[in-house]
Amino acid sequence: MNNETAPVDPQWAWAPYSPSSERPWDLKWAGHLYRRAAFGASWDQLQKALKEGPDQTLAWLLDPNGNRSEFETAFDEYESSAAYSSSTEGLRAWWLRRMLQTPNPLQEKMTLFWHNHFAVNQAKVKSGRLTLQRLRLTRKYAQGNYAKLLEEIVHHPSTLIALNAEKNRKTLPNEHFSRMIMENYCLGPDLCSEEDIRDVARAFTGWFLIRNELRFLEREHDDADKRILGEEGNFNSADVVKLVLRHKAAAWLIVKKLYRNFISEIDNPADSLLEPLVNQFREHYDIKQLVRVMLKSNLFFSDAAYRKCVKCPASFALEIAKGFEANISTTCLGRDLAALGQDLFHPSTIKGWPSGRHWINSATLAGRCNLVHALVTGAGSYENQLSPSSLFSKYNCKTKTEASQLILNIFLQNDLEPSVQKQIFQQNPNLDAQSWLKHYIINVLSLPEFQLA
Amino acid sequence: MVRKFQVGIRIVMFALFVCQNAGSDSLPKASQWIPQDAVITFEMSKPADLFHLLLGPRIEKAVTTAPEYQALANEQGFKELQGVIRYLETTLSTDWKTAVKTLLGKGGTFSLLPENKILLTTDSEDSKLLSQLHEILYGFAKNEAENQGNYDRVKSKEYKGVTGYTFGQDEAHCIIDNRFMFTNKSNVLKQIIDNRSNSELKSLSTLENYQCAQSTINPEASLKGFLRLDILNQFTGINKVLTKNLNPLAALLLAGLPDSLSVSNWLSAGLHVGEEHLSLLANIDGKLDTSDPLSFIGSNGCAGGVLPIIQVPNQIASFSFYRDLYQFYSAKDDLFPERTSGLIFFENMMGIFFTGRDLTEEVWKEVKPEIRFVVSEQRYDPSIGAPAVQLPSFAVIFKLFNPEKFGLIAEEAWQKAIGLVNFTRGQEALPGLLIDRPVYKDIKMTSTYFSSMEEDDKSKLETRFNFRPTLARIEDNLILSSTDQLAEDIIDSVLVGTVAPLEKIPGTHSLVQINADRLASILTSNRETIVRNDMIEKGKTKEQAEAGQEILHRILSYLNQATLQVGMEDNIAQAALKLSLNLPAVE
Amino acid sequence: MIYTRRQFMQTSAFWSAGSFIPSFLTRAAFAAAANKPKSDRILVVLQLSGGNDGLNTVVPYADDEYGRNRTTLRLRSAQVHKIDSYLGFHPELKTLWEQFQEGHVSVIHGVGYPKSNRDHAGALRDWHTARPHDENCQTGWIGRTADSMAGTDNSNIPCVLTGNNSQPLALNAERMIIPLIRSINQLKFQYEWESEVSPNNQKSKNPLLDFMKRQKFAAQEKSQRIASISRSKNSNAKYPPFQLAATLRIIAQLIQADVGIRIYYAVLGGDGFGGFDNHANQRDNHAALLRQLSDSVSAFINDLKKERLLDRVLLITVSEFGRTLKENGRHGTGHGAAAPMLVAGGDCHGLFGRHPSLTDLDNGALKYHIDFRNVFATLLDQWLCIDSKDILGAKYKQLSFLPG
Repeated sequence: MNNETAPVDPQWAWAPYSPSSERPWDLKWAGHLYRRAAFGASWDQLQKALKEGPDQTLAWLLDPNGNRSEFETAFDEYESSAAYSSSTEGLRAWWLRRMLQTPNPLQEKMTLFWHNHFAVNQAKVKSGRLTLQRLRLTRKYAQGNYAKLLEEIVHHPSTLIALNAEKNRKTLPNEHFSRMIMENYCLGPDLCSEEDIRDVARAFTGWFLIRNELRFLEREHDDADKRILGEEGNFNSADVVKLVLRHKAAAWLIVKKLYRNFISEIDNPADSLLEPLVNQFREHYDIKQLVRVMLKSNLFFSDAAYRKCVKCPASFALEIAKGFEANISTTCLGRDLAALGQDLFHPSTIKGWPSGRHWINSATLAGRCNLVHALVTGAGSYENQLSPSSLFSKYNCKTKTEASQLILNIFLQNDLEPSVQKQIFQQNPNLDAQSWLKHYIINVLSLPEFQLA
Repeated sequence: MVRKFQVGIRIVMFALFVCQNAGSDSLPKASQWIPQDAVITFEMSKPADLFHLLLGPRIEKAVTTAPEYQALANEQGFKELQGVIRYLETTLSTDWKTAVKTLLGKGGTFSLLPENKILLTTDSEDSKLLSQLHEILYGFAKNEAENQGNYDRVKSKEYKGVTGYTFGQDEAHCIIDNRFMFTNKSNVLKQIIDNRSNSELKSLSTLENYQCAQSTINPEASLKGFLRLDILNQFTGINKVLTKNLNPLAALLLAGLPDSLSVSNWLSAGLHVGEEHLSLLANIDGKLDTSDPLSFIGSNGCAGGVLPIIQVPNQIASFSFYRDLYQFYSAKDDLFPERTSGLIFFENMMGIFFTGRDLTEEVWKEVKPEIRFVVSEQRYDPSIGAPAVQLPSFAVIFKLFNPEKFGLIAEEAWQKAIGLVNFTRGQEALPGLLIDRPVYKDIKMTSTYFSSMEEDDKSKLETRFNFRPTLARIEDNLILSSTDQLAEDIIDSVLVGTVAPLEKIPGTHSLVQINADRLASILTSNRETIVRNDMIEKGKTKEQAEAGQEILHRILSYLNQATLQVGMEDNIAQAALKLSLNLPAVE
Repeated sequence: MIYTRRQFMQTSAFWSAGSFIPSFLTRAAFAAAANKPKSDRILVVLQLSGGNDGLNTVVPYADDEYGRNRTTLRLRSAQVHKIDSYLGFHPELKTLWEQFQEGHVSVIHGVGYPKSNRDHAGALRDWHTARPHDENCQTGWIGRTADSMAGTDNSNIPCVLTGNNSQPLALNAERMIIPLIRSINQLKFQYEWESEVSPNNQKSKNPLLDFMKRQKFAAQEKSQRIASISRSKNSNAKYPPFQLAATLRIIAQLIQADVGIRIYYAVLGGDGFGGFDNHANQRDNHAALLRQLSDSVSAFINDLKKERLLDRVLLITVSEFGRTLKENGRHGTGHGAAAPMLVAGGDCHGLFGRHPSLTDLDNGALKYHIDFRNVFATLLDQWLCIDSKDILGAKYKQLSFLPG
């Protein structure tokens, strides 16, 4: 909708950012990085990032050092124990808890990205076990090899169930299935001919889901020649993935989507801007390399990216908990996020959640502010889980002014128009310090600025 | 936590005050002075029994060995408090336990009045000790106020010949003979002094409801309670909360008690304290109007009384009820004005299972009102395996009017239900129940189970392996059990019962017994699940969740068994709760 | 524009709080504000879950076939509220019958669709997607309507589900987040701080931030309107004590608060099972449900009428199928096909279409005369003024049951 932005020089855009006196590394950019590459940060983390500079902070986010296996093993076990039933409420809660506590937040953020890109609705899949498998699959390759991720996803039982393709008979190739994966998972809309769709479906014949286990029945496979994306041959489903990955649109689809995820949701980037990334990505389909280039870039640390995305409900809520360094009831949070439009494991269609401005309407905004209210006042199931007073005592805030400044620093990196700052500060002059601070926090976290990533 | 504790201690300290006029023991009962609008009043009539338990060595051991107490004992505030107590002990040349026993030796009361006013009275055995303590504390308070430059805060004033004191704000207290009285609003103290000087004025003891209530409490009770439901129902709308939105099934289970409470004027309670048990007997005067759809519970509910509870091995809880399901279901149009989809689904299904028989006239009418439930811990067969989440087994035992005829009808319905469950599960590609007809002690059962043959990890089976739904009939008892094992245990129990015929417990419509050790045991089996659930439900860390479980376990370990008996006598609803304790032994 | 309306609303909130301005003035002011073009019309879709027995809703009491097949469930001439010498409303639909006579309720006969599904899940899916027999369709007809209404800068929520049910497929959208409103408080800010500056006068370098500020402002404006409505409205409107009535009351309040919601969806009879699915002992259960339907909808009509909003609102009932003509051995009925739809609004008269024959049956059930997609197309094009072609996938013939 806003295509007026001046064309950006791709070479400058994707070159690594290095701090200078005109573009210094400061709190604003540390907060920006933690919003996009993690689920927000604590005040300690922000200060550490300030001290260590962008390169080291990003290196840590991409490859966290230290032994994480204890955490991962414990949480893998928690997730397994929640996957016994067909309801995913427990699994949802554990995943949110993992996002909140993980020492590797970028991994979870990317898992969430793929969860949404390869969207299937659990209400259709109806199996906690398969849903967990799929979550693990996306987590395993979240920053790994895209080719492998795509191949495993299109063959995953949950994908077949979600697209009514449990039985791919020779005589009944499922064109709905092939259309959906080609248009949504593989290449994007309007790139396949009807012939492509038909023959991709034929290539998938033979795959059967028997009691939720995937099996290949040779006799049901159509092994006659097919013509797919301009090539001819006796293709099977694995070949389809290879053909897709040879097509330039496959990389375009992912680069564009990641651009929206990491850089900006407001403009359609020029093809010339993305071209270098697409070409690079096609070489090895190395997701981490692509993510690294984006997050290190001049463009990422520029106004073209700053506050140019709308936080998804999960990021919005988890950043609050993270800033307060608190654990909250994620069972309850999972339900509240669903009401804000992001029901984990239940995107409404295969297209995933609508991002950007679509997150926002009168109901979801009121819902977000009321969630802040519930968290801060400790209402209902969130009984006093966020403790502003322990945050203030940890960072030695002795006065209202100091405490309110800390809140602005953590959550908005103090980047707020002075007139608004002043107005909020002057609200409720008659309240005692503790209630005043609670109201102050609610006001800050309800600001339009805090809805932006 | 520490702060709350300190506040509590301060209230207790206020209670240990003093009097100038040491003297006669002939004060009238405190209830003659307490204002009539006291909503809740507790009267400690036999302090010695209470002190024997509460200040005895076993409770002391239970408290002091708890890690929470030890953590508290290391806090600075607690140490300061101990210092103060030691100072007082030396000055008064007594130890704190004796002092407490003496100062409350002749009883005490606590009342809650409207607008959050409280009133506390204590009758001391030794008025000299009371006056000494008051003098010391008065000195402390005055000093501290003056040190803060506030010379007016601590003061005294004469009213109708009684000296009232205040340590600040609206707090007020006074001493009359050996009675100490304390309130957080000075006008309450005035009311008491007025009542004292003029016995014509309305005090609690002149209230008719209070007198009625007293007659229902055993005079031997150590602690008596009186609650004015008339005030609560009128001003707080609590009756509306009680009766509104209550599911009719819950109302049936609670035998219309919420409805009765909402029309009651008072609730009385008496607590008896023994060496090994606590028992609480509570009464309310509310009677259900005949227009109330649940009124049948009160009108004929207790006539027959309940059967004794069934005892099985590993029993967690056992229930015995007198509930006329026929009358209940006949009133369904009043009870369920909104047809919930659940009810209609239930009717559809029952129509199928019972082959079109009329649910009210041909099904519920066959069932006697004596209904019993049992919940017990399961013993898992190692060759089958154990589920990751271990649920207790449970069973309901109906008594039939025509056991031969209706037994078969019920069995047919049961088999149809199992078949339908299997069919529905099959539609979703889920494993079904295998149907077996084992014979146990000459009783043929219809028992069903899931096969675990194909399960890889037999130590962490799915939750469904907690269920082996079983139907059995022995004489006129129809047993519906979640496992065959429990059904067999019940058959054993019934066979014992036939030797000595069952005698009903009259005047009772509900009887519940809970065994704390089994409850603790099932919690232990599921400890990991509960801890994990607490982590995501309440946002706790693993350590916090585990500590929460520890506390629960410790509390359960001090409890042996709880028995609750609810019934009706002379139109007064009665509930008796008996807790048998398992306090640590003292060498 | 928004700003001045906001000021008006604030003042009116003040009125109702102070309550020294006669309420008819406030109402007149609201009605004036509500006097909007057709684009402000509202549709309420009420789903009767489980398959409502159309034959015992609008009863062909005079038909011998009816009496013959309904041995125990039959409603007799003396019991029904007569429409004409052939048809009458179920005895418990007394209040709706009265509204019928007032010209606020009409009936569309014999609504169904070709090769209709007789299984709950399948039939519901067909009605929800409005793409019968397309199992792969992931969006609902109302969800697609919402998507078609989604503007980039629109703070309005096109449609909502109200009540305690889970979201039906009908509301599944690709782009819009469809809120589930259980309480009017969900659209109200628990605590809010108001900026003194209208965001319309601001323009920053960040269009997304400007968007967010406008959204927040609009949401707060709606919140205040809802707050003032729920304050002023607590006592006057009379609703029976049913869950459905509570839901319709919320809808009436939101309509009055004028928060821009165009389609409301509500459910009677629960999620998935039960409800109107009376295979056994149908008589009392069905009667109880119809009484809830009748009294709740009638109270809703009266409330809106009093607030002079009824002409802007149309309510329709949908159900996945009707029931078999012949009752079964358990005093119930089986899954059927065509059934009548009820329409309620300011100007709804009489009967529309032909009553299906009771002798020419499709496997024991009534045959349809009117495809439900014709009804939906008419509602979309003529009532909501939204092009139905993209939403329904084809252009369906328009019907003439609508007022005016």
